[in-house]
Amino acid sequence: MSKVALIGSPNSGKSLLFNRLTGLNQKVANYPGITVNIGSGQSLSDPSIEYMDFPGVYSVHAISGEERLAIESFTNALKNDLLDSVICVVDSTRLEKGLIFALQILELCYQYQKPLVIAANMSDVLEQYNMQFDYRGLSAALGTPVLPISAKTGTGLEQIPDIIKDLPAPSANYQSDTIASDASLVHLQAQQLAQNFGPKGDLLIKAQNRLDSFFLNTWSGGASFFLIMYLLFQAIFTWAAPAMDAVESGLQMLASALLPLISEGILSDFIEDAIFGGIGAFLVFVPQIFVLTLVVGMLEDSGYLARAAVICHKPLRLFGLTGKSFIPMLSSVACAIPGIYAARTVDSSRKRWLTYLAIPLMPCSARLPVYSLLIAAFIPAQKAFGGLLGWQGLAMFSIYLFGIICALLVTAIISNTQKDMRDDLPFVLEMPPYRLPSWQPLVSNAWNRSKYFVTKAGKIIFAVTVIIWILGYFPNYGAALSESWLGSLGQWIEPIFAPLGLDWRYGVAILSSFLAREVFVGTLGTIFGIEGAEENVISLAEQIQSSGLPLGSGIALLVFFAIALQCVSTLAVLRREVGSWRLPVQMFIGYSLLAYGAALLTFYLIELFT
Amino acid sequence: MTLWDLSQGSSAEVSHYHHSVEENYQTRLSELGFHPGETISCVLSPRLGAPKLYRVNNTIYSLDDSIASLIEIN
Repeated sequence: MSKVALIGSPNSGKSLLFNRLTGLNQKVANYPGITVNIGSGQSLSDPSIEYMDFPGVYSVHAISGEERLAIESFTNALKNDLLDSVICVVDSTRLEKGLIFALQILELCYQYQKPLVIAANMSDVLEQYNMQFDYRGLSAALGTPVLPISAKTGTGLEQIPDIIKDLPAPSANYQSDTIASDASLVHLQAQQLAQNFGPKGDLLIKAQNRLDSFFLNTWSGGASFFLIMYLLFQAIFTWAAPAMDAVESGLQMLASALLPLISEGILSDFIEDAIFGGIGAFLVFVPQIFVLTLVVGMLEDSGYLARAAVICHKPLRLFGLTGKSFIPMLSSVACAIPGIYAARTVDSSRKRWLTYLAIPLMPCSARLPVYSLLIAAFIPAQKAFGGLLGWQGLAMFSIYLFGIICALLVTAIISNTQKDMRDDLPFVLEMPPYRLPSWQPLVSNAWNRSKYFVTKAGKIIFAVTVIIWILGYFPNYGAALSESWLGSLGQWIEPIFAPLGLDWRYGVAILSSFLAREVFVGTLGTIFGIEGAEENVISLAEQIQSSGLPLGSGIALLVFFAIALQCVSTLAVLRREVGSWRLPVQMFIGYSLLAYGAALLTFYLIELFT
Repeated sequence: MTLWDLSQGSSAEVSHYHHSVEENYQTRLSELGFHPGETISCVLSPRLGAPKLYRVNNTIYSLDDSIASLIEIN
């Protein structure tokens, strides 16, 4: 098996090329702190080739711990003979920038005698603008092949396996001690090469500037930002609705077809309550994850997200964050897990750490069924402000806003009190060119993310549902819940939740929701004896109303759910990203205590004024 | 005068970095093109202190005041 490394700067299209060559769909990045995520996959056209996708870096001179790890892993692979050849991906439309890194890689390959191909990506864009690139001239000057390719259209990709197979190591044609020399000299060399052989003219940059003048203008930029964010939320909450309804109807149809075939008893009760009731409630949210990943991916690939980061930088800096924190925080509105992954793009480790602190407080979609239930139970379905707004909609908006404000306040306080300046890098962000996104990888990525959500979070939800069902069903076979094991457990933990005006039933539901927030609705539904509570939130809300729960307790529950970090998957992913349990455990304990304290304060304040 | 003071549409040559810029970051800025002697243009200067956009050859970077004010220009 011939091992071929893919390396390049961020935004060079390296990962898209890797996915094209291997048929896989993954994004690699440096795992902060512990290890480097190197993707690998077999070539689609030649199974004897294995491609290894290294994280994108700008230079071999690292400025952060993560970059250092990525570069070290690449040089170690070269040193230890773990690689047979290297493909360095550069963006043809911004050649001098790519060539600075390519020259450093060329020197490393020369030093370790590894063959190198420079893949000049985005040849389709040059063709579109009728721009000329002297590939042969550059290849002769560098002493290594330069191959025009387009990872987007697939042009030139078929030549890669043939070229790398019989390729010799770079000749001494361009040996210039690039790595050791002054950075400005390297830039000068790259500039001269780009001027001699690269595309001429600044047609692309002019087009980019025209769009930037609109999207980053104080007025039109602000208006378009809010319009795009509005469309994003519409996508999550409105466009996903038909798919969510379809999932729900499909599950109902499956249940009505399957259940009559099973004789009444424990198995039938288990399938109906635990499988269709518990798992069904969770599957309904998968379309939202799909739509959000698709839209965020589209914004990212189009180049807009970098502009959104610029727009948000100044306001987020007030809270100790950076404009680069915007993308992870936005992704967390659907689910904290993609948000945590997106935080890899925050290069400053201090800002990334603060972003991790903000992510679990962002109003994720798992909170949605809990909010819907509590709002339906406690807030009247009446119109306010002359019929313009409904109280329930206003309550939903307020609790979403409350979560975001909490996130910003927490980061502001911690940023001002914790002065540890671990790798706090300044804000320098490359503006990628505006491009029309390629649909196939976007859809594929959204599908994979949804699949990951189902397989990872689904296991936990299934386990919780089974445990809750067993505890609530036995030892009296579902006859009286208060006399079940679950009832006994609830009465034991009741003193913890009694100060919030909550009885044992809510205590059990809260306790189970520490594994995943949406479990709260299913558990409460089971406890109130309503089967399929998630399909009919109103009827469960009516049960809550008639249970005599005071308004203060209902609002306290909303506040509690807005702050508490009740998601095992989030904690597990965070642990993997930071390489230790310290931060997840600190956040879990801190946010649980903060949530309890804020809920208690809310309860007493409401009780005082009502 | 620093890069942050450069108004939209104007260009200037980088003179040197402020001594508080760490050495490894000076190297990175040089590799990105912000090295002494290089001509940089300010292509967009939004209001309210938002990061500005600078052109270096065929690449656009956004820099905020915390770093742009540490790059001295002629």
